[in-house]
Amino acid sequence: MKARGAVSAALASAGILLAGWQAGAQVAEIRRSVVATSAGTNAGTTSGGATSGPGSASSGSSDSAAAAESSGSSGAGAAAAGGGTYAGAAVQTRFGTVQVQITVKSGVITDVTALHLTDDDRKSVQISNRAAPLLRSEVLAAQSANVQTISGATVTSDGYLTSLQAAIDAANL
Amino acid sequence: MPQTSESQVAMTCREAMKARTFQCMGTVMSLTFPSGPAAEGHPSDDEIAAAAAVVERLFLDLDQTFSLYRPDSEASRLARGELALRNVSAGMRERYEEALDWRHRTEGAFTPERSDGVLDLSGLIKGHAIREAGTSLLALGRHDWCLNGGGDVLVTGSPKHGIDEPWQAGIVDPEDRGTLVAAYPLGAGRKHAALATSGSAERGDHIWGQPGAARAFIQVSVAAADIVTADVLATAIVAGGAPMLDRATDCWDISVLAVAADGQLLATPGFRR
Repeated sequence: MKARGAVSAALASAGILLAGWQAGAQVAEIRRSVVATSAGTNAGTTSGGATSGPGSASSGSSDSAAAAESSGSSGAGAAAAGGGTYAGAAVQTRFGTVQVQITVKSGVITDVTALHLTDDDRKSVQISNRAAPLLRSEVLAAQSANVQTISGATVTSDGYLTSLQAAIDAANL
Repeated sequence: MPQTSESQVAMTCREAMKARTFQCMGTVMSLTFPSGPAAEGHPSDDEIAAAAAVVERLFLDLDQTFSLYRPDSEASRLARGELALRNVSAGMRERYEEALDWRHRTEGAFTPERSDGVLDLSGLIKGHAIREAGTSLLALGRHDWCLNGGGDVLVTGSPKHGIDEPWQAGIVDPEDRGTLVAAYPLGAGRKHAALATSGSAERGDHIWGQPGAARAFIQVSVAAADIVTADVLATAIVAGGAPMLDRATDCWDISVLAVAADGQLLATPGFRR
């Protein structure tokens, strides 16, 4: 039961802290805080853990805490062994969909991972907006007939005359 | 006039638009409005002419001050040492401060100084002119327009009046400038209103690689909420390569499409179909 409480609280606080992380907190701070939270929970209640995150002021965070807590409880059978990997539920926060996974060894959280992040609401760019290789067939459609303007490296006035932009402009003069 | 690409874009004019163009800063600026009956809220020909005149005047004034191609400009006098930095106009000082701020924020990938030490704000001034022109157009009561400054684009509203559709901006394929490599929606409630593209072989070569940085990308397009951010970061990523690309996507709310020297595309999720 003690270990179960620790996992629940850790998942809850990890959810909060991940939200804080997206808001700009450092990963290193998260890990330190989560470990500290876990230790505190062993001695007391799960609610203590839910207040420790730097980003815990938002309503999205409390949603995430509640969902992660219940999920952690359901998977608590394994936690009794004192180690393992646990995933929280995917929850909606104001930063997008967040799911955290924690790794516990000897009752101490050794890793916190974001399992599932999307930019559905286009705000979780801090984490998921890295540029990645893409095939030409995978980028947004580029039919000349469907565009109203053209972006390209600057052309000279002379070069403009044979540019796509000139053709569009000529059609609208 | 245009010969190679007319057929490709013939379909475009099914949306009625009116465009006005003028030359400035060594390239061509295009200002486009949706067109239709004035009773439906479209600008009249006179209103379009007035708006275009305001924008052109603004560009010409800035070019008079900042062009290094004009021997009598303030920038040229500063470059020749005839004018000390402490004696420059307020406008010059503001742009210089803005450029230094961008140099700091891009960790040097964007810089207002040429390799010979001459102050050159041309990497910033076109974006600034587009930004100012946009402010003027809004002040004139125009809420649907697209301003294209030699390939750097700022829009507001939609290409059709009263319809909540974004403008679609095509991005030129650097290996074949008659075709497009991608498109990106701007305006109409989308988070980005501006799209700027920089190439490594740009006119005047105002992009200088950072020491030791290989020129990883031959073309970089950045979509952002404002045109100066888009323009400066596109320039910075061409100059600073992959590390600057990652820094830009981590620190700014932007979409990026980069074309590598071998033709490979790198893109943020916003460019994925």
